[in-house]
Amino acid sequence: MKGNSSSAKPLTDHDHYKAPSEPSIKKVPPKRKKRRRSQAFQEAVTGYFFLAPALILLGVFLLYPMGAAFYYSFTDFYILKPDDISFIGFENFSYIWQDAQFRQAFWNTVYFSVIVVPVQLAVALGLALLINKKLKFRVFFRTAFFSPVVMSLVVVSILWTFMYNPNEGLINQLLGLIGISPQPFLTSPDQAMNSIIVMSVWQGAGFQMMIFLAGLQNIPNHLYEAADIDGASNWQKFLHVTLPGLKNIALFIFITISIAAFKLLVQPMIMTQGGPLGSTKSLVYHIYETGFNYRDVGYASAMAVVFTLIVLTITIIQRVLIREERG
Amino acid sequence: MKKLSLLLAGVLVVLMLAACSSDSNANSEGESGSSGENTTSDTVETGSVETSVEATGDEEVMLDFWIHQTGEDETNAYIELIDAFNKEHEDIHVNAEVIIDDGASAYSDSINAALVAGNLPDVMAVDGPYVSSFAEAGVIQPIDEYIDEETKSQYVDSIIQQGTYNDQLYSLGAMEASVMLYYNKDLLDEAGIEPADSIEEAWTWDELMENSKKMTTEDRYGLNLFMNYGVGEWLTFMGAPLAWSNGGALISEDGTTVDGYLNSPETIEALNYVKELFAEGVVTDSPGEMQFEEGNAALALGGPWIAVSAEDAGLNWGMMPYPYKDEKVSPSGSMAYAVTNNTENPEAAVELMKWMTNEEATIKISKATGMPPAQKSAFETMEKFNELPWSVMKEQVIQTAHARPSTPAYPVLTDAFAQSFHAAALGEDVESVVEQQVQRVERELKRFEE
Repeated sequence: MKGNSSSAKPLTDHDHYKAPSEPSIKKVPPKRKKRRRSQAFQEAVTGYFFLAPALILLGVFLLYPMGAAFYYSFTDFYILKPDDISFIGFENFSYIWQDAQFRQAFWNTVYFSVIVVPVQLAVALGLALLINKKLKFRVFFRTAFFSPVVMSLVVVSILWTFMYNPNEGLINQLLGLIGISPQPFLTSPDQAMNSIIVMSVWQGAGFQMMIFLAGLQNIPNHLYEAADIDGASNWQKFLHVTLPGLKNIALFIFITISIAAFKLLVQPMIMTQGGPLGSTKSLVYHIYETGFNYRDVGYASAMAVVFTLIVLTITIIQRVLIREERG
Repeated sequence: MKKLSLLLAGVLVVLMLAACSSDSNANSEGESGSSGENTTSDTVETGSVETSVEATGDEEVMLDFWIHQTGEDETNAYIELIDAFNKEHEDIHVNAEVIIDDGASAYSDSINAALVAGNLPDVMAVDGPYVSSFAEAGVIQPIDEYIDEETKSQYVDSIIQQGTYNDQLYSLGAMEASVMLYYNKDLLDEAGIEPADSIEEAWTWDELMENSKKMTTEDRYGLNLFMNYGVGEWLTFMGAPLAWSNGGALISEDGTTVDGYLNSPETIEALNYVKELFAEGVVTDSPGEMQFEEGNAALALGGPWIAVSAEDAGLNWGMMPYPYKDEKVSPSGSMAYAVTNNTENPEAAVELMKWMTNEEATIKISKATGMPPAQKSAFETMEKFNELPWSVMKEQVIQTAHARPSTPAYPVLTDAFAQSFHAAALGEDVESVVEQQVQRVERELKRFEE
């Protein structure tokens, strides 16, 4: 402290000594502020500079198209006549309610989602539990279950189309070995969507399995040990330790699968072209066909707007439900 | 590390194998178009293929030219023709761009994108029935003033018919297409059935039904309709003549309505005939890709490319004319060329079109693809068309070919018919399905009302 006071003196001396130039000293704080401001400005510039790639991409490929789709949904934009667009109000939207194909595509999509979401969730969890055990060839199984995720969905769809072939397909040949008569699969209006569901679950479950696996490994071991001491059975451990421990991850997966399921497009496009009799036409596929095959961009945009609203609603409902459960 | 790299290598192999099989699938789908794809392989480079003649700088006119790619031989034939054109015409230089036609929408997607961006080439290949929608939208322009009657009369009638919209000529094609009733000679002999060797002897619907039934056994179908091509243009191309032959139609003569045409009793009767074929079990809705070539179907209503694949498979085959009810008609129409409104040199563009579709060109392309030529004289020059079985195809192209309807609503109309045909094949109630489709097309037609 003494040192401090002694050093303070020369400072004040120094100040007095510099008294004539006091005004310039007073000017220092504003200068600092300016410096801070310009520094903040610079930082902001740097920040936006780093953000720019993301913002530009988002703007060009997401925000602008969304805005354009919203605008076109009120017009009669026909792809062959890009210079002749006129405003037609809500005509496109009112036709949605009369469009039998839209209704069919909507219910197809709902059916697909309602089945795929829980089944895929269960399969992914099952696979994760299996792989979490210290089995022989664990790495092999993990790779095997995960490999469909790495493959392009288009490739997978084409392969499964071969396997589903009613005459020469692998699956019917296997069924024949156990005495089941050949099934029409993709060529039957009753079986086509279910065939696509099976393939989609197989293709998608590997990814969710990995996320579940991470979740499983995050559950502290001492909880299981405690359960063991309490004499809990394996089933009780699963029910009261594993499941609660996975809850947040399951919710995350639930939402992502739901949204992905609603965007069903590639499988019907490659495997069935939406047939037979429109039984596998999904909403997104119907929108695509309307816009590109039938060139009716205006109506396709209107359906896209409605589709976005539907997905948005589902997401909000899920969020609310989840919040309630957490609360 | 070793394990990881082994794993990666394994994944790569799987992906490559998968990629190969996807290619072969794309090929088979390519055949489903009416546009007469003779898919041999996909090995031609996919990007833009510049023709080998370099621009020398003193040429006045540059033409951009889009051709669709379906097979290597076909593309090579085009490139040779374009090279020759560039050599012959010192004042015109053609840049050709080959665009993949996967039988689905790849080619039309390219056109749509270029259209919206205003980047269309000077000349482009378009599928015959789509000419009218491009014409109606003013995307392509009439060429009557650049072509004289004599040149026009050298083409088979159906090519002029498919290229005409509102009494103006818009497109010229090098090849025609057709659907023949192919037969397996051995199986016909076995059943003691006489094939029809000319249009006069063509089978009626009843004969087709009866003979198909006769030749259907437990491990073999009587008839193949190539339903494996999917629900698309093929069903309209192959199936619409059934309606026409019965006095039905897809759309009114003036193109303003389908009500009373697509759902006319005659069209519905034709679709019910299809339904009966499937109900009798003489034909399947999911044939293997080579069902006919492998002898698992006695008859097949297939495109000219089936002659090529049957020959390659070593089958003892023949062709008959398309079966009829009242009037003898047959499928027609293929890829053709049209001049876009984007061009500054319509005259040079038409010159190129004529070059690509003259007798020499049609013969060359016919040899490369197996498709019938679009010039009448080419049929005389090519000897194979003057003897069986190819003489039947020639007769059919010249005498009974019937172009698909010329309407700007064609994309929706063809899907409406294909869906109805497929519903009939699956045994659905034809009338109610057709009625639904009529509503759809009527809505689309409103767009083009004045």
